[in-house]
Amino acid sequence: MGIRIALAGNPNCGKTTLFNALTGSNQFVGNWPGVTVEYKEGKYKGDKEVTIVDLPGIYSLSPYTLEEVVSRNYLIDEKPDAIINVIDGTNLERNLYLTTQIVELGIPVVIAINMMDVVEKNGDKIYAKKLSEEIGVPVIEISALKNRGLKEIVDAAVKAGKEANPQSPKHRFDGSVEHALAHIEELCLHNIDDENVQRWYSIKLFERDEKIQEKLGLSSDVIEHIEKDIKSCEKEMDDDSESIITGERYNYIGTIINGCVKKAAKGLTTSDKIDQIVTNRFLALPIFAVVMFIVYYVSVTTVGSWATDWANDGVFGDGWHLFAIGSKAYTEAADEYTANQLIVDGYDLIVEETGAEPTGEFEYPVEDEETAAVEYEKATLDDYEAAKAYVESNEEPDPANYGVWIPGIPVFVEAGLDAINCNDVVKGLILDGIVAGVGAVLGFVPQILVLFIFLAFLEACGYMARVAFIMDRIFRKFGLSGKSFIPMLIGTGCGIPGIMASRTIENDRDRKMTIMTTTFIPCGAKLPFIAMVAGAIFGGAAWVAPSAYFLGIFAIITSGIMLKKTKMFAGDPAPFVMELPAYHWPTVGNVLRSMWERGWSFIKKAGTIILLSTIVVWFCTFFGVVDGAFTMLEEDQIDHSILAAIGKALAWIFIPLGFGDWEATVASITGLVAKENIVGTLAIIYGASGDVYETMRSAFTNASGFAFLAFNLLCAPCFAAMGAIKREMNNTKWFWRAIGYQCGFAWVIGLIIYQVGKVFTGEGFTFGTIFGLAAICCLIYGLVRKDKYNK
Amino acid sequence: MGTAIVILILAAIVGAIIRSLVKAHKRGEHPACGGDCSHCGGCH
Repeated sequence: MGIRIALAGNPNCGKTTLFNALTGSNQFVGNWPGVTVEYKEGKYKGDKEVTIVDLPGIYSLSPYTLEEVVSRNYLIDEKPDAIINVIDGTNLERNLYLTTQIVELGIPVVIAINMMDVVEKNGDKIYAKKLSEEIGVPVIEISALKNRGLKEIVDAAVKAGKEANPQSPKHRFDGSVEHALAHIEELCLHNIDDENVQRWYSIKLFERDEKIQEKLGLSSDVIEHIEKDIKSCEKEMDDDSESIITGERYNYIGTIINGCVKKAAKGLTTSDKIDQIVTNRFLALPIFAVVMFIVYYVSVTTVGSWATDWANDGVFGDGWHLFAIGSKAYTEAADEYTANQLIVDGYDLIVEETGAEPTGEFEYPVEDEETAAVEYEKATLDDYEAAKAYVESNEEPDPANYGVWIPGIPVFVEAGLDAINCNDVVKGLILDGIVAGVGAVLGFVPQILVLFIFLAFLEACGYMARVAFIMDRIFRKFGLSGKSFIPMLIGTGCGIPGIMASRTIENDRDRKMTIMTTTFIPCGAKLPFIAMVAGAIFGGAAWVAPSAYFLGIFAIITSGIMLKKTKMFAGDPAPFVMELPAYHWPTVGNVLRSMWERGWSFIKKAGTIILLSTIVVWFCTFFGVVDGAFTMLEEDQIDHSILAAIGKALAWIFIPLGFGDWEATVASITGLVAKENIVGTLAIIYGASGDVYETMRSAFTNASGFAFLAFNLLCAPCFAAMGAIKREMNNTKWFWRAIGYQCGFAWVIGLIIYQVGKVFTGEGFTFGTIFGLAAICCLIYGLVRKDKYNK
Repeated sequence: MGTAIVILILAAIVGAIIRSLVKAHKRGEHPACGGDCSHCGGCH
């Protein structure tokens, strides 16, 4: 017979880590509360008959939050065979509050004191045996992270579940409370089938829990009668019923702690010392800004960039030198050949333009590969003669003649297709469509993985929890709750779980606003696009990628301030109570697993949705109507393509933003299927005209390029995330409001960036700049206008 | 002949992708989301 064991405990006490260790599952683990919003099931590795259920973290069995409702309903209605109550050993007192309630449920309980490695490191001592005697349930010391005590805890839970003999709660309340509880039980609970749970129901009725009154179907007469008992007790104890129960529980816990825990005498812990700096009123924000700058700088510009260059130019390009053997010699030879060729080309250009040969020293253009900036260098006629002789006597160096040369995937595929005499249309579809599109997206995998390693580390070590705490201080000033920042933290991986995490926000208006703004934070899928814009338009400038993240935060804060001043979102922010977990070094396995999960989903998407999209984009790019006939187009005819027709019909929308051409327009549209599609689409369209980065560089100015980046970062997310918004809003009108707001806000920000930005980039003050300035004024008005609805 | 083989392979790949997407959708998963959303229904 199967046994079902539920893991219940406070948020961030290690339930999901324990669940993963017991089931071999890969559920997301974060070092902040609220990671698990709904319960998850898995089979115990050591015995497939045992099912482990991971419940959301809760502080009590009162229905204050969604997690508490989910956990409580599961425990009462589903009745697992046993409960493993996971307790954070470093914070026993607060964790035992839930324990005092769980043992009243009439379900066998086993207590797992987790994080014993940290307890021991701190020099504290917990007397498990004594604790077991005090509470009346087995207590086992474990460390889910270090795989310690796991078998023992499951064995104890299985034994308790099989015996099906629930513990009798040892705790007794004050006499007058017990008197009231006895009355309540007698009045309406004596006929409940499971008599073990009668006491828990009576306590909840004493606390005036409306959901339980409803569940038991009590008549108004009975409720009135119970009210008399409660009021009589409240009068006697001079407090309200809920506070009486809470106070009594904490008194009981105090006596347990005194007898079972010995704390080592010491000053500030390492975590406290770090927090004095990291959460400091003045230093917190600059530190956060520096941390995120480093994360994006390293991911996109340095380590990630080197790896991505290799992936883009090597694996998905012409090829690469194995272990860089021969690479240096080839580069030197290529540089020498190019330098001579440039002098010859420069000379020929002058002849072509002026019709006369230079008579002395002349200038020739040299373009910087990274920035595309053109500089002029001088050469003499002797230099020209020498260069001409070199070019004529040498062939352009072939990388395959140096070291061990591995051709790139497109070269292999092309050679294969040529070998079987494949039709040009099919060859074009595979090379210019699938390989170019999917390759362009996959080329960014190294950058994605580096970013995910950083994010996983920051989450697991406990820093991101501090960020929520820091942001709460700022958000609160603008009428937002720091609780809104948790979904945004999760949204850096993928917007969908981020949107779902907004469920933990009790205040409906705050929740809706969080759903609307969560996807402003760049998710992993947007990173290839950010990196592409940074590399192609801004010559790999280090500030572009971090600015995308900070633009997201700016959008969230400004939206929060403006929306809070509207009738729809007015109201005080919900209080944000969050425990700051102790800092700890995450395990390498945990960080790598988190990175791989997110990275793998990116790769999977490239092989499915993106691949299908590239086929459609290729077809729409290379087929169209020329001279009244629908035909396959040459590369210089793609202005007549289906995609061009669609893009041209909508491009007017983006003219004020500086990218009103059909190419950028269709890339923005295909980005709605999946944000990586922007990269794939641009690779196909611009690839048709030559080098993707060079064509892209010539299609955008700095101002229009950044406006393009900003619009696509802030506008409506992919369809999957839109589905999540629709579901979480649970209202079609609200869904369209959210999408409309995101697109409108993105458009306005794009307008400001382009119209005002071009003044600073030397493109001059135009009529459009007035609109840009007017948009800034509207934005400032929205931020500073009098708040009629919040007092 | 070579072209026909390539088209067949392509068709098989596209068919397999569509099939896997439909199956994943039925399982309650979505390739755009890395998490196990079999319980969430967030993508439907």
